[in-house]
This record gives sequence, structure tokens and C-alpha cells, in this order.
Amino acid sequence: MDVLRFALRKLLAGVPLILGVTLLSFTLMVHFGPDRTFELLGKNPTTEQIAELRHQLGYDQPFLLRYGQYLRELLTLDFGHSDATGEKVASLLARSIPVSLALVLPGFVLGNLLGVALALLAASCRGRWPDRLIMAAAVFGMSISFLVVIFVFQIWFCTSHGLDLFPVRGWGMADVPDYLRHVTVPTLAVVFVALGYNTRFYRAVIVEEMERDHVRTARAFGSPPLRLFCRDILKNCAIPIITRITFTIPAIVIGGALLLETSFGIPGAGKVTYEAIISGDQPVLKAVVGLTAMLFVAALLVADILYRVVDPRVSLE
Amino acid sequence: MAGTALLSVRNLTVEFDGRAGRLRAVDAISFDVLAEETLALVGESGCGKTVTGLSLLRLVPQPPGHIVAGEVLLDGEDLLALPERALRRLRGRDIAMIFQEPMTALNPVFSIGAQLGTVLRRHQGLSRRAARARALELLEQVGIPEPARRIDEYPHQLSGGQRQRVMIAMALSCGPRLLVADEPTTALDVTTQAQVLAEIGRLQRELRMAMILVTHDLGIVAESCDRAAVMYCGRIVEMRTTAALFSTPHHPYTVGLLEAIPRIREERLADLPVIPGRVPDLAQLPAGCHFAARCPRATDLCREVVPAPLPTADGGLVACHHPYP
Repeated sequence: MDVLRFALRKLLAGVPLILGVTLLSFTLMVHFGPDRTFELLGKNPTTEQIAELRHQLGYDQPFLLRYGQYLRELLTLDFGHSDATGEKVASLLARSIPVSLALVLPGFVLGNLLGVALALLAASCRGRWPDRLIMAAAVFGMSISFLVVIFVFQIWFCTSHGLDLFPVRGWGMADVPDYLRHVTVPTLAVVFVALGYNTRFYRAVIVEEMERDHVRTARAFGSPPLRLFCRDILKNCAIPIITRITFTIPAIVIGGALLLETSFGIPGAGKVTYEAIISGDQPVLKAVVGLTAMLFVAALLVADILYRVVDPRVSLE
Repeated sequence: MAGTALLSVRNLTVEFDGRAGRLRAVDAISFDVLAEETLALVGESGCGKTVTGLSLLRLVPQPPGHIVAGEVLLDGEDLLALPERALRRLRGRDIAMIFQEPMTALNPVFSIGAQLGTVLRRHQGLSRRAARARALELLEQVGIPEPARRIDEYPHQLSGGQRQRVMIAMALSCGPRLLVADEPTTALDVTTQAQVLAEIGRLQRELRMAMILVTHDLGIVAESCDRAAVMYCGRIVEMRTTAALFSTPHHPYTVGLLEAIPRIREERLADLPVIPGRVPDLAQLPAGCHFAARCPRATDLCREVVPAPLPTADGGLVACHHPYP
């Protein structure tokens, strides 16, 4: 019950945030964004034609009214049709977001799990060779451009210069083998790149916690190392870990992974967003911007509730 | 207080990696703790008393700390030579510790019942249910009001005194033979201090434990310890029964410490004697007696030769070339 009320309050507190973000981005789009008038009218239009079209497009309506319409679109998730393809924006996103999720999620989950595991290992051997090795590898992984990683992995895994096990490009989720065939190499690339950052971050968090008095107490009462690290310390590190994970999710859902999607020719949300930006496809952009704001508020809410689950000191008040 | 030595510390030497190289925090100290007695390790901050306490169970963080030499014999078994796994079985079961900071010494994200239960299940092999019942008993025993409610609370919901009582409950949970209490009351307010000390004393007698009480408070030493070892710069300078130490202190440092205790009847507090000078930097310890530079009785001998601990008439030890009679 308390949790429910807490969630409701957090949701309400998210409303001004959504309004602020959408108002700002909508203002920017209206004043500096694409204006389709001249694109549609071609050469030498008359003043009447311009006025007529602007009326049709709704450009002549007062700003607040247009913003109100945008909010209604957000609430109903009905953003009209794409300027570029004429497809319904909702169905465009419904088609591409699952692809992006299926593409990025395995790498994201693995990257974080492995990151925590390696960080625990490094921290528990602090200053000794396993720690040094892991940290050196982390810096190495972080230092290589994502693009280079993708190309090298494509050459290694997908061409006759290497193992030649997977297709270089393309996407399919018809069945599990099909999915695995297409998702493996992108996942490896994501893990390779994310692992360094994650490990370094999580190790720093764990090492800080290791120096707390309660860890000494646990050792003084005979806590074995595995339990010490995986329970006593890790639960205390949960808040920064939760924060990092929950706040990456909205960016993955909507932003997708542009580099991955472009390099592997995958029709995900990243590509949709990128193309909308390039072609000035306002309905799609409005949808993407608005959904991102809403997802962030949702992530905020989830993070706040999870904080409470792992840390009794966090108050629901 | 005749008895056999439960714990014998021989030649314990602990060093730390500092910016200026290795610092010797504990310098070849030796002492015994007899069964059921209370030994105070007393001295100023930085004299090595806490490090000594932590070293007994190899709890000094390594690195930067290194136990470079010595033996800690519990019933003849050297804890410093024990494999980690065997030592873990001993920690909290045969030797338990209480720490200075009750605010941070307990894990903030587990309920006190869970923390007590973990220790009980680990060392006593109790079931979850039995451990909980025993934890309730223990909380009751250390004087926590409403233990049935408190057991599911988290450390931040308790007062400092209650948290320290929980620590005590945890320390006593497996009936250890030796309790190492590191400044157990320093972080508490004065009334709570007295209660917690009385509680520790009562439980110590009930459970017939020996105790090492690490403190800088001579009042606590006088009240609750059988013997006291005065430490200065990593060495024990004088070790006597409490009564003897307070009535006829031999070492000039002990004399200085005792003179520096403010007495309520003294008219002018401005005249409170102090030990001149400062504790030397561990990185630049003088040769010979570490206290020589501040000592009114120091001679050239003191500045050159480390005084060996010599037995006193009453069975104590004093490490001084020119002790007070």
C-alpha cells in the first residue's frame, strides 16, 4: 500500500518533468525544425498557395494549441503518419522498437552481469595480479572505438578471413536459431565495449564499500569471502548499480544502437530515429522525443522503488 | 587472578605502507591474557592499541598493513600461522570483537536479526528458526527493550547505545573465550557509556570470558580492568595490575598520563599538568626509547638504547632505564 502511494506520488512528480521536456523540445522543433511548406510546394509558389498549405499543415495555429495537440498525441500514442513514408508512426515504432530491444538487450544484460562479476573478482584481489589484469583489460576495451570493434568482429566472425560463422548483415527473429545467428556478433561487440566501462565503474563502487566498518565486522565474525562480496558488500552497492542500469534503459529502447543497426543493416529504432532526423520527419521525431521523456520518468520511478527494496534507509515518505 | 594464559602474544610486529616507506605501528610487543581476566590496552591515539587488537584475528587490512613478525597463541595454537579457512572458523566463535563505531559497524542493509542469525548459523550450525529464537534471547540478554520488535529493525532505526548492545549480543552469541573490545564506548554519550560498560562487565562474568579492552580512557581502566598495558608509539612501556599502576606508576609516561587526568577538586584547571612535546611521527621515530624526547628523566642512554621490559617487584613489567620507584 505504501509502495503504491509512493509510486503514485512519484508519477505525479514526473508530470512536470514530462511537460518541461516536451515543451522545450516542441518549441525547438517548431522554431528551428523542418518546415515542409516549400518542400511540398516546389518552385515559385504563390502567397495564397503558401498560406493554404500552412493552414492544411496546421502551422498557422497558435503555439499553445499545437502543443496541446502534441500532448494529446503522446497520451493516445497516436502520432499520425510519417512524412517520409506515410506509414503510421505508431506502427513504425511498434515494428522497430522490439527489434532494437532484441538486438541490444542480451549485450546489455551480459555486459552488466559480467561487469559486476569481474568487478567483484578484481575488488576481492585488490592490488594483486588478477585485479591489475582485469583493470588493464578494461582500459584496453574502453580505448578501442566501437566502430573498429564492430568491423573487426565482422571480419573475425562473419567472413572467410575469420570463422565465417554468422551473416555480416541482416536481421531475423523468425525462430530462435535465426535470432541467435543474427544477434550473436552484435552482442559480442556490445559486451566488448560496455564491459570495460561497467567493470571500472562497478569496481570503484565495490572498493569504496569494502572499506566500510561493517565489512570489517563481517570479517571479524568469520564471513567467508564469497558471502562477504556477493551478499554483504554487493547489497550495499545496489543503489549505484540500479541507477546506472535503469537510466540506460530508456536510451536503449528509443535510441536503439545506431552504430550497430547501421553496420549490421538492422531495421531498429536507432535507424528510424536517425533517418527521421536526417529527413526532418517531424511526426516521428515528436514521438521519439516524447516517448524518451516518458520512459525516463518511468525509469526514475522504477529506480526509486528498487532503492527502497534494497536499502531500508530509503524512506517512502 | 592466578590462572593460565589463554592468549599469549609474542613479539607481535605490524607495519604499514606509508608515503615515506614502512611505518612500524606495533613494535615487537608481548603480553598474556589470562582466562577470565580483563586486560586494558591503553594509550593515546596512534599508539598501536587498535592495530594490536585487530592483529589478533588478522583483521588489519592487508595491504597496506603487514604483520611482519610474532605469534598470537590461543591455547598454544598460533593464529598468525593458521590458514585463512581455519581462522575464519575461529573468528567470532573463540575470539569475538566489538568495535568503536556502532553507527557503521553493523551492515546497514540487513536487519539486526538477520545479522545475528548469520553468525549463529555459521558458528553454531543452528537452523534459521533456531537462530532467530536464539537471537531474540541474546537481544533480551543485552538489554534491548522489545526484542521481538527490534529483531526485524535495521541498524539505522536503533540508537547508538542499542546498536552497541546489538554488537555485544553478536560478539557474545557464540560464547567466545576472549572478547576484544576496541573503544566500545567512545562513540556513546556518557550515561550510555556507563550502562554499556556495566553490561559488558556483567556478561563477561556470567560467560567467564577474558577480555582485552582497548581504550584511551584511564577512568574505564580503573573501573573495569584487572591489568593494564600502557602503550606508547607501538611499544608496551608498562604493564601492571590496575591497582599497582595507579598507586605506584613506574614509567615516566604512565606518570605523565596519570597526572594529566583532571580532578574535580583541583582549583585551577589552567595548572593541569601536560606531558611536554608531542607524540613523535611514526616515520621518524627516535632510536632508543621513543619517549626520551618528552621524558623528564631521560639520559643519553635512553636516546641510544631501547629499554628492555624488566619485571617489577609486583609481577608487572616496565620498559624504562630510569623508572620511578
